[in-house]
Amino acid sequence: MVPAIARPQLDLELRGIRKRYGNFTAVDGVSLKVKKGQFVCLLGPSGCGKTTSLRCIAGLEEPDDGDILIGGKEVTRDPPWERDIAMMFQDFALFPHMTVAKNVAFGLEMLKKPKAVIVERVQQVLKSFEIDALANRKPGSLSGGQRQRVALARAMITEPRILLLDEPIGALDYSLRETVMLELKMLQQRTGISFIWVTHDQNEAFSLGDLVVVMNHAKIEQQGPPEEILQRPATAFVASFVQGNNVFRGKVLRAADSLLEVETPAGSFLVPGAGLALGSDVSFSVRAENLTDITGDHHLNRLTARCTAVEYFGSVRRHIFERSDGELLKYDQFGAHAARIAAGQVATLGWRPEDTVLHTGIAG
Amino acid sequence: MSTIRVRSAASYWLAVPAAAWMLGVVVVPIMLLIWVSLWGGRAFSTASPLTFDNYAKFFANHTYIKLAFTTVGHTATLMAVTGVLGYCIAYFLTMKVRSPLWRLALFLAFIVPFWTSTLIRAIAWVPFLGVNGVINQALMFIGATNAPIEAFLYSKTGITLAQVSLYTMMAAGPVVYMLSSIAPALREAAMTLKAPPLVVFWRIVFPLTLPGVVIGQVLVFLNVMSDFATVATIGGNKHALLPNLVLLFYESSQIRAASVVAVLLMICMLIGVVIALRVVDIRRLGADR
Repeated sequence: MVPAIARPQLDLELRGIRKRYGNFTAVDGVSLKVKKGQFVCLLGPSGCGKTTSLRCIAGLEEPDDGDILIGGKEVTRDPPWERDIAMMFQDFALFPHMTVAKNVAFGLEMLKKPKAVIVERVQQVLKSFEIDALANRKPGSLSGGQRQRVALARAMITEPRILLLDEPIGALDYSLRETVMLELKMLQQRTGISFIWVTHDQNEAFSLGDLVVVMNHAKIEQQGPPEEILQRPATAFVASFVQGNNVFRGKVLRAADSLLEVETPAGSFLVPGAGLALGSDVSFSVRAENLTDITGDHHLNRLTARCTAVEYFGSVRRHIFERSDGELLKYDQFGAHAARIAAGQVATLGWRPEDTVLHTGIAG
Repeated sequence: MSTIRVRSAASYWLAVPAAAWMLGVVVVPIMLLIWVSLWGGRAFSTASPLTFDNYAKFFANHTYIKLAFTTVGHTATLMAVTGVLGYCIAYFLTMKVRSPLWRLALFLAFIVPFWTSTLIRAIAWVPFLGVNGVINQALMFIGATNAPIEAFLYSKTGITLAQVSLYTMMAAGPVVYMLSSIAPALREAAMTLKAPPLVVFWRIVFPLTLPGVVIGQVLVFLNVMSDFATVATIGGNKHALLPNLVLLFYESSQIRAASVVAVLLMICMLIGVVIALRVVDIRRLGADR
């Protein structure tokens, strides 16, 4: 059923993976292509099927349906120990009864490498991960950051085609994460090993991934480069999951000149789009930074609401407004100039129709 | 909530009831036993001079020495059999039985017999092993044998059979605990590092359950070394081990000789436990997890 021609340019291909546990569908028809040396982030809320998908790739779960190809070879029913992958677990899963050096050597011992080669290679890897001083310690006496390095060294030493990472920095202190993220990104670029990184943290996904795959309810909602997910969310779910979007749902009222007028509980707005029947249900979003409180003629979409709170994120001042339909509206202002709107004030916000994104995705 | 510091006065007072209990039922009787075993002279009284004569008499008797070795050998056999069997049962219960309800039911089925006394459970084997017992009738029914096999009851085989059934769960229990405390991710990590199942077991699972195995072995060792009831009921009068000798001396009012054997048995057990503790530090159980 698999074509004889291998596809060496793809490190991984998922074709319609499906996995059910009793009545619960954990993964529902997930398809994905990972090019050689790509950094892929599976992003989604907990229970969306991202970890189950990862476990299917590792061979720790067997999908009920669909095919998995690693390096062009069909491996759907192969056990984990026959797959060209390595995995980093959420709590690192270091072997507690072995020293750091023994943990790191484990993969090479399984590959039946000569003793001398193992010793030398372990030395090398311990050094390059700056954990050579810990070689004879047991995992129980290590800090979170040290464990993370050991787990990474243990996984990377076998030089797998793909490294699977299940929330690899979720167990680390917040202050460590940014450094570790940068290190991992550099390591990935240097080695050219494909990374598949599961996370629920969009900052991780957008700053690391070449390809971001947003999942919800066992399905892929959207996949693409980070900018595309951020700027052109395909579904209302992606738009609302990604920070800084204002999502509206409504019905098409009028259509003309590749512009739709959509009627929502918060008012009628102009959205670029065409080919939709009048009265059909649509959703669209506009990013918080594309709003303005100094409205000109081109800000055809306008909305008056009361500001309920103002938050500061470094150079960004975020205003939270309460929309007339009860939802929140976010408006971001950049720069250090004085606030024009204070909490409790009523203001009119406007945005250009071309800054509005109509959601065209099917899922969600 | 306030906590009680380890070295505070309150902590010492709280330890008093348990300490008094242990002193009364463990320490004092053992001291008495040792004292009596050293009594010399002809009269059986507290005024007896202290001497090692009783011990010398024991070690001069080849029959007793042989019996001691038989006891240790028999215990070793039981430790081996219950160890392997117990590990298999523990592995099956924790790794293969997926439904928690089934696991509980099976575990109870193994545990419930322990609610009765050892003696009752030992006696319960008699109708199984006897000449007209269940096993012989079943063997004759399926035609495996024409005449009933007498070797089951009042034999070493019978004693071993009964003791295996009595003590296997003691070997299995600690292993169940250790097995269920191994995070599944550890085995999965090994598998993603190219270890096939047997290697995962040998390199990861078994070493992590070793403390449980050792504790189970200690339990079996202590129980078999001191079990006179099973030997007496299943072995009849034909077989005896060291603990039966204590009983024999006691029944014939040779209290000093009985004390000597009891003290020697205790020393054997102590040595066994010390060896076990050298292999596994029980106090540090689970500290690495």
